[in-house]
Amino acid sequence: MNTPAALDREDPRYAEYVLGVLDAAARAAVEQEMADNPQAAAAVSLWQQRLTPLSEEIDASTPPAYVWARIRADLQLAEPARNAQPRASLWDNLPLWRWLGIGASLVAAASIAFMLTVPRAVMTPPAISAGYMASTIQQDDGSTGWTATMDLQHARMIVVPASPALFAPGRSPELWLIPAGGKPVSLGMIASDRPTSIALRAGLLSQLSATAVLAVSVEPDGGSPTGQPTGAVMAKGAITST
Amino acid sequence: MSASTPAERTELTRLLVRVARKDQSAFAELYKRTSSKLFGVCVRMLRDRSDAEEVLQETWTTVWRRAASFDADKASAITWLVTLARNKAIDRLRQHREQQLDDPLRLEEVADGGATPAAGAETSQEYQRLQRCLETLEPQQRNAVREAFFTGATYNELATRCTVPLGTMKSWIRRSLLQLRTCLDQ
Repeated sequence: MNTPAALDREDPRYAEYVLGVLDAAARAAVEQEMADNPQAAAAVSLWQQRLTPLSEEIDASTPPAYVWARIRADLQLAEPARNAQPRASLWDNLPLWRWLGIGASLVAAASIAFMLTVPRAVMTPPAISAGYMASTIQQDDGSTGWTATMDLQHARMIVVPASPALFAPGRSPELWLIPAGGKPVSLGMIASDRPTSIALRAGLLSQLSATAVLAVSVEPDGGSPTGQPTGAVMAKGAITST
Repeated sequence: MSASTPAERTELTRLLVRVARKDQSAFAELYKRTSSKLFGVCVRMLRDRSDAEEVLQETWTTVWRRAASFDADKASAITWLVTLARNKAIDRLRQHREQQLDDPLRLEEVADGGATPAAGAETSQEYQRLQRCLETLEPQQRNAVREAFFTGATYNELATRCTVPLGTMKSWIRRSLLQLRTCLDQ
């Protein structure tokens, strides 16, 4: 199909690009060429077919469930298909919304106390105080487990432990955002002994509102294996603007 | 999870074509079937799970946005997906390049490990053919090609790891690639 002369004439960079040995500048040059020249793109595509089967040697590794939650949030996808995350969720049965009605006024009071404890760096710049939201995440016994403050301008959340309950070995707290009428979206694992800083992706920012709730569930150390809470909900908090 | 049989490959391709039409259930199904393979690729290349998680996330948002550019006549879905993940991982490696420290143990790991398909996975005919062609290369050169593929190392990094001059590494790799092409295209 190819004569030796034709082999030697092909630009070696196409194969090198696919193998992965080029530096950033050379990679960018090949990518530009692929965009401009269909023959270059075809040559690269052939090399992908030749070399990619080597990846069959790589062991699969299950990613944490929150990655899928983040992908959906990033893309602002609606409810996942029913069969994608098959789970009769414990959350569907929780009297969460009833709790919210009782808890809202408590939270408003608590968030004022909380703001006094926020590190100074988080408080500046003061000019955009409207760009913050807060939540006091309370445990079932009424004590505060964590407080969360959301800096909307910088798309960050800081979760500070107050007096969270102890966790059994192998169990850790995972934080969830529950939009009104929506399914929980994982915000990641949080620490019980130090503040946790969480980057808020664009898809999540839009879901932070007074109708959304933060909740903490007890999960295996690496996080919920299913993308939805699997353990007991040990703390919850409404979100308020500050 | 493996995509070694033609039937599995056809199914993945069918799903990816539906993703191109913004079918969310197909997207979820495709993720369920292939994300652990792609995550394995990211972890292997980046050697850091949190980096790998970010790259996996970028990969899948790109899958959703660019699925329409997938051409089933040119590549299988799994090849397209793995290629996308590898490219994102390599981009990430290049960004962090200054921070990368060469660890001489790593080449030995790869070299000693030799070719072993992923645990419990059946291999495709394409893999078996590639493996036969790799066997025809000199051991050092075969190891350099494998190291390059699995770690995304640049020529410079490979030369350092294998303690050979850069020019030697380039000629090993280029000659190996030509030999592989001749062998595979027969």
